[in-house]
Amino acid sequence: MIYGDKKTGILVQGATGKQGEFHIGLMNTYAREVGGRGVIAGVTPGKGGQQVHGVPVYNTVKEAMREHDVTASVIFVPAGAAADSIIEEANGGIETIVAITEHIPVHDTMKAIAYAQAQGSVVIGPNCPGLLTPGEVKMGIMPSGLFSRGSVGVISRSGTLTYEVVDELTRAGIGQSTVIGIGGDPVIGQTFMDVLERFEKDPQTKAVVLIGEVGGNLEEEGAKSTDLPIVAYIAGKSAPPDKRMGHAGAIVEGGEGDARSKIARLKKNGVPVASRPSEIPEMVRALFRTC
Amino acid sequence: MKLREYEAKKVLKEFGIPVPAGFLIKSADELAPHLNDLGENIVLKAQVDVGGRGKAGGILMAHRGTAIQAAKDLFAEKIKDLPVREILAEQRLEIQHEYFLSITIDRSTKQPLILFADNGGVEIETTAQDRPDAIRKAVVMPLMRDIPPFMLRELLGSAPKEIGQIINKLYRAFCDKDAVLAEINPLVTTSQGVFAADAKFIVDDNALARQGIRVNRDLTDREREAEKHGFSYVELSGSIGVIGNGAGLTMATLDLIEFYGGKAANFLDVGGGAESERVMHAVRLVASVPSVKVIVVNLLGGITKCDEVAKGIISAGISQKVIVRLAGTNEAEGRKLLSKKGYEMLSTMDLVVKKAVEVTA
Repeated sequence: MIYGDKKTGILVQGATGKQGEFHIGLMNTYAREVGGRGVIAGVTPGKGGQQVHGVPVYNTVKEAMREHDVTASVIFVPAGAAADSIIEEANGGIETIVAITEHIPVHDTMKAIAYAQAQGSVVIGPNCPGLLTPGEVKMGIMPSGLFSRGSVGVISRSGTLTYEVVDELTRAGIGQSTVIGIGGDPVIGQTFMDVLERFEKDPQTKAVVLIGEVGGNLEEEGAKSTDLPIVAYIAGKSAPPDKRMGHAGAIVEGGEGDARSKIARLKKNGVPVASRPSEIPEMVRALFRTC
Repeated sequence: MKLREYEAKKVLKEFGIPVPAGFLIKSADELAPHLNDLGENIVLKAQVDVGGRGKAGGILMAHRGTAIQAAKDLFAEKIKDLPVREILAEQRLEIQHEYFLSITIDRSTKQPLILFADNGGVEIETTAQDRPDAIRKAVVMPLMRDIPPFMLRELLGSAPKEIGQIINKLYRAFCDKDAVLAEINPLVTTSQGVFAADAKFIVDDNALARQGIRVNRDLTDREREAEKHGFSYVELSGSIGVIGNGAGLTMATLDLIEFYGGKAANFLDVGGGAESERVMHAVRLVASVPSVKVIVVNLLGGITKCDEVAKGIISAGISQKVIVRLAGTNEAEGRKLLSKKGYEMLSTMDLVVKKAVEVTA
């Protein structure tokens, strides 16, 4: 458990939208399976008084927090308003804010994250699938059927690639402690380093799979910062320079952040790097054998 | 999206940063009425969307008497295969010193990062390599409207104080215009004051609409077509077409193609919740690339309905071979639909990619 557990009460912003409604349903199905609290309040301005899958909806975060004990939130608000939602939640005192929304202008993200930091809130994302701690809590949109409980933490800048790796791990009999998607944008709240710090304090986590991609050097920075055994994978070896590979942050700019130099730096720091996702389970097993 | 130099300089001017007198011309004849304003020494700069323009012959020095002929010559040139359609004709400055100023976004601190160096111009790259300490740095908390004066003093060192104001003006332009890069190199001192001799400006792709930019010039025609359907698309040069969901998984698919010795023709991320119609458009788009011999579809996700994807692939009705890896709900139904029509469906991404590489080998 690193960002929440069964006892975590979750608020969803953008609760009455298509995405919000759909995923409140899935998050609460998961909560029922594991005996957790799940989503207990929703917020959509102007829709206060409605219900979504039995969850009461409020006009503002403050109203919702007056009635419910929530410490985490998941944001499904469209890009133009999502940064404001992050600020509203930080202002309301929510500890952990998961922003699923893609395409938020980066200047809005920088301001919202700076504000949240000043308020003592933690932002995960934006442009991320959220997190799932098997047997405890799901905050976001990850397909829970692929997961199994265990001792390997997974941190990723991606969504579906994370599911691919989790699926491989589960099939190989390797369970996960917490799986977290930190987001595909250039500016994100929790970086590899921040999550690794939490994993270090988590007694359940014995090793970490780090799934990175082209753009920036947050993977190397994170791997350097921890003593936990790590297996890494970096996507985008075939990415041409100055082209955005789907994610706003997945771009080789000014000759920096290309996959090969990232992989070389990771290896130089003693981190084994898988050359394809299907190699990861065997490499994790090798980690467990040596430590 | 990258702005052209004349667009970038317009932004600088709007924010009060001095730029040399200059005019955008679309033919050599348009230069004549401006000659008086440009003075004796003139520089002609081709406005083409490529790097290394100067070395490729895109910048010509001229005088009042030779400028029109020089403009004719430049319009007749091709700069790295691109025709010259626009030229920025500028007054040539008597430069005393060149500085380097750049603002970008630092992913580690999640804040705007300002870089300033006493020796700008073409030297900056060697400076960055040999003496990185010569480039002074500061990060600004994004909630602040202005750069704190102490930070400007630290950046400036012994450089003229008036440059401090220019740094702050560029920071405001960077914030207000949703830039991910704002660079003045060189920033020059002359007897008439400080000027931005060249300018680079990249606008955040996620903010183009609110900046009033309708067409992203950085994309190719096919990439723009894909954008209309909500796909992320990048053109590459191989023969294996790729369709995936999610940027990471699609990139990993491309890398796997490389791993097994093949070459991908494209990157296409269809995004979440791929219904049959979206899949059909994606398949048709990739199939329309002449070099594509085979298409790999790699879709994974809890909410992807495999029967929908199968219907999309079938209704695309293309001539190239399609090899499919699908995982999600209704997997059995999807498999049935595809095999009835003779499509190949394999269970892992390694298998589909290997197969596709074999087909193109």
